[in-house]
Amino acid sequence: MVEMFINDQPIKVKEGITVLKAAEKAGIHIPHICYHEAFPPEGNCRMCLVEIEGHLCLELACATQVKEGMKVYTDTENVIEARKGVLEFLLAEHPMDCPICDKAGECTLQDYYEEYGLFESSFQEEKERKDKKVNIGKGLILDQERCVLCTRCVRFLRDITKTNELGVFNRGVHSEIGVYDNQLIENNYAGNLVELCPVGAITDRDFRFKTRSWFLEKGASICPLCSRGCQIFIEYHPGFARFEVPKRVYRVTSRVTSREESQKEKGFWICDIGRYGYSYMDKDRAETIIQKEQDLSGDKEKTVKNIDKKIKKLIYRNKLERMGVILNSWLTNEELFLAKKIFAWDLKLKKVYFPEPAQGEKDDLLLAEDRTPNKKGAEEIGFSFDRINQEELFENTELLIVFWSSPFELGTISELTPPLNKVQTKILFTPFKRKWNDLFDMVIPTAVSAEKGGSFANCDGKIQHFGPVLSPPGEAQAEWKWLVSLGKEIGIDFKSYARMWSPLDVYKSIKDKIKFFRT
Amino acid sequence: MPEKVLTKNFDMEHLFKIDVYMKKGGYKILSNVLKKLKPEDVLKEVKAAHLRGRGGAGFPAGVKWGFVPKEVDKPKYLCVNADEGEPGTFKDRYIMSHNPHMLLEGIVITCYCVGIHTAFIYIRGEYENIAQRLEKAISEAEEKGFAGKNILKTGFDLNIYVHRGAGAYICGEETALLESLEGKRGNPRLKPPFPAAIGLFQSPTVINNVETLSNIPHIMNKGADWFVKQGISEDGGTRIFGVSGKVKKPGIYELPIGTSLKELIFNHAGGMKSNKKLKAVIPGGMSSPILKPDEIDIPMDCESLMKADSMLGSGAVIVLDEDVPIIEVLRKITQFYSHESCGQCTPCRIGNSWIHKTVTRIYYGRGKKGDLDNIEKLASNMLGRTLCPLGDAAAMPILAVVKKFRKELEAELKGSGR
Repeated sequence: MVEMFINDQPIKVKEGITVLKAAEKAGIHIPHICYHEAFPPEGNCRMCLVEIEGHLCLELACATQVKEGMKVYTDTENVIEARKGVLEFLLAEHPMDCPICDKAGECTLQDYYEEYGLFESSFQEEKERKDKKVNIGKGLILDQERCVLCTRCVRFLRDITKTNELGVFNRGVHSEIGVYDNQLIENNYAGNLVELCPVGAITDRDFRFKTRSWFLEKGASICPLCSRGCQIFIEYHPGFARFEVPKRVYRVTSRVTSREESQKEKGFWICDIGRYGYSYMDKDRAETIIQKEQDLSGDKEKTVKNIDKKIKKLIYRNKLERMGVILNSWLTNEELFLAKKIFAWDLKLKKVYFPEPAQGEKDDLLLAEDRTPNKKGAEEIGFSFDRINQEELFENTELLIVFWSSPFELGTISELTPPLNKVQTKILFTPFKRKWNDLFDMVIPTAVSAEKGGSFANCDGKIQHFGPVLSPPGEAQAEWKWLVSLGKEIGIDFKSYARMWSPLDVYKSIKDKIKFFRT
Repeated sequence: MPEKVLTKNFDMEHLFKIDVYMKKGGYKILSNVLKKLKPEDVLKEVKAAHLRGRGGAGFPAGVKWGFVPKEVDKPKYLCVNADEGEPGTFKDRYIMSHNPHMLLEGIVITCYCVGIHTAFIYIRGEYENIAQRLEKAISEAEEKGFAGKNILKTGFDLNIYVHRGAGAYICGEETALLESLEGKRGNPRLKPPFPAAIGLFQSPTVINNVETLSNIPHIMNKGADWFVKQGISEDGGTRIFGVSGKVKKPGIYELPIGTSLKELIFNHAGGMKSNKKLKAVIPGGMSSPILKPDEIDIPMDCESLMKADSMLGSGAVIVLDEDVPIIEVLRKITQFYSHESCGQCTPCRIGNSWIHKTVTRIYYGRGKKGDLDNIEKLASNMLGRTLCPLGDAAAMPILAVVKKFRKELEAELKGSGR
């Protein structure tokens, strides 16, 4: 530890860290554009210049290491003037097309001008003309005029993905970022460039011109598209009073501020599958309770009672072995625990099935093999994964409850029709409207992970809790809510279910029962 | 006439051939050094000689060598900066084309002193025939056992390579030179770490100018005391001044450090061409601030010129007479730097182009009130705030020209009708 002073305020910091980091600890933000925690300092934007006592010139806060007794000043006249100078340079050759720029509202350059600039421009010359819409691959569009040449994108592709698709071309004021010989960007992490870009130079087709950033609100969640469980923000439009917006979710961004020290290079990023695969949240959602026998739409209580009635009938006939349940690893720990408790412990069913979670190819950085969020959790709760033995499952089954929360298909209609026809009553819990929903007698709408609270255990065994960001559409509600009501209705262990008002209450019970979740 | 050191035998025919060079006593000192002296002795001698870098910054060579760590598990490198890109400078080409073996001898002694086994000569791309001559000289030296494996049977190895640049001024900056040598885009690196610790291929590296290294054999030959005495000022040795512009006899002049600029122009270079009036002198390459006629009675050494807010730089003296419009000079300066800025850091990339655009506007008679103040503001925003010295090298002469010739430039603002 060394003691140093920032604006005469004494602070103790770790040896070897930079002035910029030390100032952040002291609660002082030093403006910077090119510096990013994930990379070594580059020092090309010159925004973070600060005065250090005993130094002749202003020094880079991002690259200067702290020393015992060092006195740093971040708000002297000289520093403020230098900052303004750099801002004026950057803005001189900036196209100022903020009104049509997708970064507007969250642009570093804009923010810094508001905070440190506020000058009249003295630039009276003609601005450089560069290409404003270069396709650099993967739906990314590069605007070379807006670019401030911080080279974060170049460094990301060089140091993190090691694919080196982008480079700096030409010299001086004609310098520009570009792809080599039209070899477009082709990796699963390209979407990070949009977030990494401090200005609106790299934008993606997915978000371009769809909405303005200040209309969006964001909530923290966990990406469910592979078992890595990256921390994400779901950015959604809360809607206008007078006219409808076409969708709720406009983008998914990274919430990862750092990962464990050992995985530092993997920090900050999310993959494109997670970033651009969010459309399932709004597309083809099941919103109403469908029941073929009688119309129960809108009444959740009656629906639960109806399911209970069907289970009770089997109990009275002493034919519970004719009931089957299919679960999946898209469900949260809480939901899986509830299912385990109701079906395996309370009802003591034998036919509780868990199909092998979907798999895909993994890569070196983040994307994991298991493409479902909670395989580890399911394992710990005590499920084993089997290929479903169709004969055993469908023969002599009168009641089948299927939980299907994956946006992917369960199977084709022609595949599913013959076995399902053998079963008398089929109930499907699903968040999605799919063609094969018609094969079921009851379809009960549920929530996707962005719409519910709970926890997932990721591939490294880390348990991550999350809360709901959006509310489920129509009559849909989270599976844990359906399950708690059902548990209460069945009444075998009414007391425990009556205490469960939230996923956290459920989690308490999990902790009591299973050691893995106690950490 | 003062004694010449580096350019002494330049008028001899075929001096670039090893036989002629050896006939003149060449490579004798090398074998003395390798066989009789320890590396520490060489370093001590060079430090005592006050040999300052001849490339522009004037950093003492001995001190620079001293920064290189002695015990490292990486190879160390020597890079000879022969990129001579400073406008007005043409001294290194004379040394390399007339007496390449003197440079090679200096390289071998330097490498022996610092413990280096690989040296690169990074030569300006345009010097194609000189590069060929150097390569010839290296193979001659290797044949005679002055370079390559087991030099003079002392067990000391040194491989010397010639690497041609591709024509970027920025590659004369030492860290950009390293990047270029590594095969990358010639962008300067952030300092620290300095090249002496982490340089070429992440290894300790010494970077010296051609003229600096050419002095080494003479220091080792005649001793530090003699060398110091060659200069009139405190710094040791002579300087090769390249005089160009409106003088009667432009060319290179080797004179003791500290010779007055006035003497150089009027005695040695023959005075003004067509007896015109002197208007201004750029004393050390284009990046050194301009001097007015009343300032030229000044000793040509680093300290004195620094006191006069200018610098000795590479010793390239550019003489301007009364016929030269100052706006033309300013435009050439800004044009050069805006063209040669690498574009890495903000102030240099945009500042230089902005100033050049404004100056060009003034040049074509569309100047506005306040333009000069704005140029001064922009240049001082660049000064000391860029990643490498190129920003300073651009800002300093611009500031000096605007300050010293403000009246003439203000007249230009009203429109000259060009």
